[in-house]
Amino acid sequence: MIRIGVFICHCGHNIASAVDVEKVVEFAKTLPGVVHAGHNLYSCSQEGLSSIKKSIEENELNRVVVAACTPRTHEPLFRRACEQAGINKYLFEFVNIREHCSWIHSKEPEAATEKAKKLVAMGVAKAALLEPQEEGESKVIPRAVVIGAGISGLAATASLLGQGIETHLIEKSDRMGGLLKDVAIIGPEGTDSKSLIEAFMSDIRTSPKAHVHLNSRIKELKGFIGNFEVTIGNEAEDLKVEAGAIIVATGACELRPEGEYGLCEHPQVITQLELEKMLSKSELTAKNFVIINCAGSRQPGREYCSRICCNASLKNSLRILDLDPDASVTILHRDVMSCGTAAEALYMNASDKGVRFVRYSLEQPPQVRAEGDGLFVEVFDETLDEKIDLDADMVVLATPLVSPDDSVETSKLLKVPRDKYGFFLEAHVKLRPVEFATDGVFVCGSARWPVSARECIWQGQAAAAKASIPISEGKVRIEAITAEVNPDKCVACGNCVLACPYDAIEITDRDGIRAAEVNEAQCKGCGTCVAACHNDAIQQKGFSSRQLGAMIDALVRATTEGTQ
Amino acid sequence: MNEFNPNILAFCCNWCSYAGADLAGVNRLQMPPNVNVVRVMCSASVKPEYIFKAVSQGIDGVLVLGCHIGDCHYLTGNHRTAKRIPLAARLLGKVGIDPRRVRLDWVSAAEGEKFQQVVTEFVEDVKKLGPNPMKEVRF
Amino acid sequence: MRLAFEEKGADYLLATRDEHGNVAPVLLKKGDEPGTLRVDVPYQMAMILTKVNKFVKEGKIAVVARRCDERAIAELVKRDLLDQSRLNLIGLACSAEQVKECRCTDPCPSVVDFGECAEPSGDDASVARLLDMSLSDRLGFWIAQFRKCNKCFGCTLNCPVCFCDECLLEDKTFTPEKGIPPGLAFHLIRAIHLADKCVECGECERSCPVDIPLLSLRKMVSQDMKELFDYVSGDSERRSPLLTTLEGDPMEDDANVC
Repeated sequence: MIRIGVFICHCGHNIASAVDVEKVVEFAKTLPGVVHAGHNLYSCSQEGLSSIKKSIEENELNRVVVAACTPRTHEPLFRRACEQAGINKYLFEFVNIREHCSWIHSKEPEAATEKAKKLVAMGVAKAALLEPQEEGESKVIPRAVVIGAGISGLAATASLLGQGIETHLIEKSDRMGGLLKDVAIIGPEGTDSKSLIEAFMSDIRTSPKAHVHLNSRIKELKGFIGNFEVTIGNEAEDLKVEAGAIIVATGACELRPEGEYGLCEHPQVITQLELEKMLSKSELTAKNFVIINCAGSRQPGREYCSRICCNASLKNSLRILDLDPDASVTILHRDVMSCGTAAEALYMNASDKGVRFVRYSLEQPPQVRAEGDGLFVEVFDETLDEKIDLDADMVVLATPLVSPDDSVETSKLLKVPRDKYGFFLEAHVKLRPVEFATDGVFVCGSARWPVSARECIWQGQAAAAKASIPISEGKVRIEAITAEVNPDKCVACGNCVLACPYDAIEITDRDGIRAAEVNEAQCKGCGTCVAACHNDAIQQKGFSSRQLGAMIDALVRATTEGTQ
Repeated sequence: MNEFNPNILAFCCNWCSYAGADLAGVNRLQMPPNVNVVRVMCSASVKPEYIFKAVSQGIDGVLVLGCHIGDCHYLTGNHRTAKRIPLAARLLGKVGIDPRRVRLDWVSAAEGEKFQQVVTEFVEDVKKLGPNPMKEVRF
Repeated sequence: MRLAFEEKGADYLLATRDEHGNVAPVLLKKGDEPGTLRVDVPYQMAMILTKVNKFVKEGKIAVVARRCDERAIAELVKRDLLDQSRLNLIGLACSAEQVKECRCTDPCPSVVDFGECAEPSGDDASVARLLDMSLSDRLGFWIAQFRKCNKCFGCTLNCPVCFCDECLLEDKTFTPEKGIPPGLAFHLIRAIHLADKCVECGECERSCPVDIPLLSLRKMVSQDMKELFDYVSGDSERRSPLLTTLEGDPMEDDANVC
């Protein structure tokens, strides 16, 4: 007998603020096959999971439906809970009432609740027809590809090599080192960036398992976790590399808001990165410095904080004063974000050394104008509550890091998502950091969002550690979503053979009975064959015609019979 | 209460359009609550039979969303979708059901805004078409 | 007729003959008494051939085939359901009346052994009339027609290119459980299943005891296949576009490396 348990998640306020969870629970209780329906504040929490497990035992459940967030991030967690409670993980069905409901209908609580009921009804209908499945295995090619040889990519590559994993490092420019090539000292501790990069690069240079491809890009990507085929191309040739995992470390670049604050109009208006170049040569060409923080960030259209600029401004002010104790430095800021013990000390130090801090507002940004040979910066000082005019012979714009234009290409090639600012989106910020939702592809560093060099190294090493899991295991489990043939129904018409994108199906003759047969290792579970079959002789596990048909029936029923 | 609120079924492929729908959620993009998503692994697994079943039973519209051509997680799976679904939509027209009740579109994992736009447009379009006449038909 | 039989060097002849005043298909071996062979009544020889093929596993079969039989056989051969090398077609041209009845646009077999090719039918007035209707009138028309359906499966059983042993439409997954008449999806599913193989022989319409104008529906779908994919069923060379990639070719070998 089918005994379905339904668990509706509040997800704190994320779901409950739009969806009336208790009403959905009451509705779920009326659905066919449901013997238990309950709700959790956070189903994914330890407490939530153990209450689900307890309920499976107490109510002798043999199907579990959780209505919460997205299966793309949380399905493994709940499947594991089912397994731990003794039921096959393929008897679990996920209903998405957060991303697909509460978050996108947050202003229509009634409609959101009704929709959640429909979605739960559909999930329950499918769950009733779920069958236990067994998983196959597939081998993992013991090789990794890292895209981008900035500090994150270098750290990831060195870490992979340190674990004995053959690694291909792909860099679009002609040198390794990324943005740090132009930065002499990185804060707040004052690390020498050259020696830092060199430490990683020497690991890479001396390793027989490292392959560095400069002036190269990814041209094509095929395959899945464990079995990727990456085409690496430069001007001269294309190279195909098979790999088990891929790390995206494509970084970010500095925004150059041409024409704003006089950039490109006055040679004495420069960006922070240009100042870094100047400082790395230890030559100052000015005396009065005005640094404008948040130049181009935390404003409409680019709302985010670029995180690294405040500390960079502080570090650079101190560098300027080190080189020329008579110089003057004014930092125009909107908030000084110098979090952490070391960075806060840097701020205190800059204050003590005479760096002047002037707070301005978004509404009244500083104005840069040229008069004669000099520059003047007019700014409304929020603390003094009056306009001041600063004499400057060099204006430095602390502009944000932005996603490079070619991240669109990378996103398309690797089929990984970006946020609205163009930075890559990981599978889940807290549960699956540095992982993409696509298995076997990882992300680190400023490709994800602007981070300091230190964080780049952490993330690069974290991505390497994650990537090494399937590689060191040597195999990955194949999700049981492959196609299977019912030879009694199959008439060997060959539709599926022709439709399969992977050549995974062939017609076989067994004792005079001709029928299609699926090679499970080759089948990737797309279901293209299923739609090509005219009599449902081939079915995809977990997505059968009966299961999806039942979902349609449930939607029709929920609409015609109401959800009250 | 008299306003027609269409009941719409959407098939989204796991890799692109379902992820795109997730992204729309993450970005809190608001859209009409008429579309109910069924997750499939690839848009190419959407049998035209599902569309006919849904429309025959009074579902007002069916959305089929997949990866962009060339971006299919399954290489060329969606090439079949691109041919099957328009044929199925035309067939509906042949028996007198507006083919605009079926829409095929491509939404990538990065296109939360496109998902919002497609859903919003489709709901508007179906609202203009009015209720599925099959709701009133009893066989 | 026996001459044709000898000339083609076949071991069997599949034809139709007079049986008690009716016409019935017959499978003759060399030397069998042929009786009165007749070619004046349309019979779906491709469909009979599929049945015969199940027990006649060896030897060549000569089949009396009209143009639609020939095209249906091509569809079956493409799917490896028949072996071309074991077949010999005896071309039979349909009469002008038959062409008119089927509104046939392609009546002339590639080799004509019997009869004389009639002019193909021009525009299909029934289809044109349906397409002229408003959507709601058209729906009304078809609903009235489909309401007559008693789910006898005559259209399926007599169809030369319906080759499944167990029909999806007998299952309740896509059509209502206890539905007679079976509803709209039943007819739409059958129509789309036939989209890439229907040869417009009209047998479904002739078989229908309640006169649902199924041939008109088939012709409309065939028209779509032609418009969308420039595809005409019965083409022995081209694979169904519904199964192939957008380039129109089956998957090449190198595309399978993954």
